[in-house]
Amino acid sequence: MLYIHRTACISPQQSFGEVDIERLNESVENKLHAVEPKYEGIPPGLLRRMGKAVRIGVGAALPLIKQSHMPDGIIIGTANGGMEDCIKFLNQIIEYEEGMLTPGNFVQSTPNAIASQVSLMTANKNYNITHVHRGLAFENAIIDALMHVRENPSHSYLLGAVDEISAYNYNIDYLDGWYKRESVSNKTLYTTNSPASLAGEGAAMFLVSGKPENAIAKLSAMHTIHTGDEDLVREQLKNFVANNLTGNQQIDLFITGENGDNRLQKYYDACEDIVSTDTTIARFKHMSGEFPTASALALWIACWLVQHQQLPSHMIKKSSNQNQTEQILIYNNYKGTQHSFMLVSKI
Amino acid sequence: METAELKKQLKKQIVEFLNLTSVNPDDIKDDEPLFGEGLGLDSIDSIELIVLLFREYGINIQDPKEGRKVLVDINTMVDYIEKNRTK
Repeated sequence: MLYIHRTACISPQQSFGEVDIERLNESVENKLHAVEPKYEGIPPGLLRRMGKAVRIGVGAALPLIKQSHMPDGIIIGTANGGMEDCIKFLNQIIEYEEGMLTPGNFVQSTPNAIASQVSLMTANKNYNITHVHRGLAFENAIIDALMHVRENPSHSYLLGAVDEISAYNYNIDYLDGWYKRESVSNKTLYTTNSPASLAGEGAAMFLVSGKPENAIAKLSAMHTIHTGDEDLVREQLKNFVANNLTGNQQIDLFITGENGDNRLQKYYDACEDIVSTDTTIARFKHMSGEFPTASALALWIACWLVQHQQLPSHMIKKSSNQNQTEQILIYNNYKGTQHSFMLVSKI
Repeated sequence: METAELKKQLKKQIVEFLNLTSVNPDDIKDDEPLFGEGLGLDSIDSIELIVLLFREYGINIQDPKEGRKVLVDINTMVDYIEKNRTK
């Protein structure tokens, strides 16, 4: 069990600083780019060398660390890290025939550049790790944080996830059929009835510990599964809920990673089957776009909702008579093979 | 290429290579120090500038002492380029 004390998120929506997720920023050319803040805490000399993944990751992490004491670990999940800079560097190797290369792109492009930059900028010499398990990179970071917190409940950890839209990744995934061929707006994403989704990016950071004092939310449980079988996903989600809710508790809000890809709809339909008619069903991929660590944005949204109790109307798929949002179930899947469930509770 | 034109081109290349997004190339003075005060570049930038000289002008600086004399300001860089360029 993880207690979440503070959160920060840089996403395609107004989620950083003055949060306004009621207003929906629209996608441009089938992409939802992160709305980047001014990054006042990052020295200009460092900022100009950072690729977008490092920028948004560090930009979301720094305010959390500055508002609290030194965390006992930095645990980040990212499927691709700074892919844009990585490809720039690889292209230089070819272009200049393995000759003289500039170090900036190389230094900033490894997936662990995000966690290491946060560490260097805050002089944090504690545990520092980056998990890179594609669509479950953030979930594996959570598992790592859970194990640490179980051993040291009073320790706090910076837990987060980052991924960027890079030209390389977008082109490869586009050719592989994961981004829509036709022009689609995020405002009509769920009515397209065609394969693929919109590209997205973002960074979500959480300050977590094993202590409930001053926490804003609780991540009660998390489960991952690799499968292409929707019946197995439904069965495992049913067991997950049964094992983690007591008799009188119920799911108030079910947030799914439905992304407008009609090939993946069977998983979301199967999972919606298990929640009662009293549960509100909401979606978030029209806010974030699709990317491997989008589930971190879902967790950030869940934390925001249990705090503020204001579900934006554009998120609602099926409303209910629920007045209070105390138990939130999140289901996400990446490319139909990597699935995760999270149970978030109000403190 | 005239010296004035070369200075203008070099300023643009420095801004582009070092991603100095908030700097207008025309605002860089010819005698403004590149490191410390002035543009405020650092040691990683010096490597980027050495790569710039190699790629754009065919100049290979291998001696760090020589680099320190060349990478002072736009005037010293342009003077060195005019004397040593191979392309």
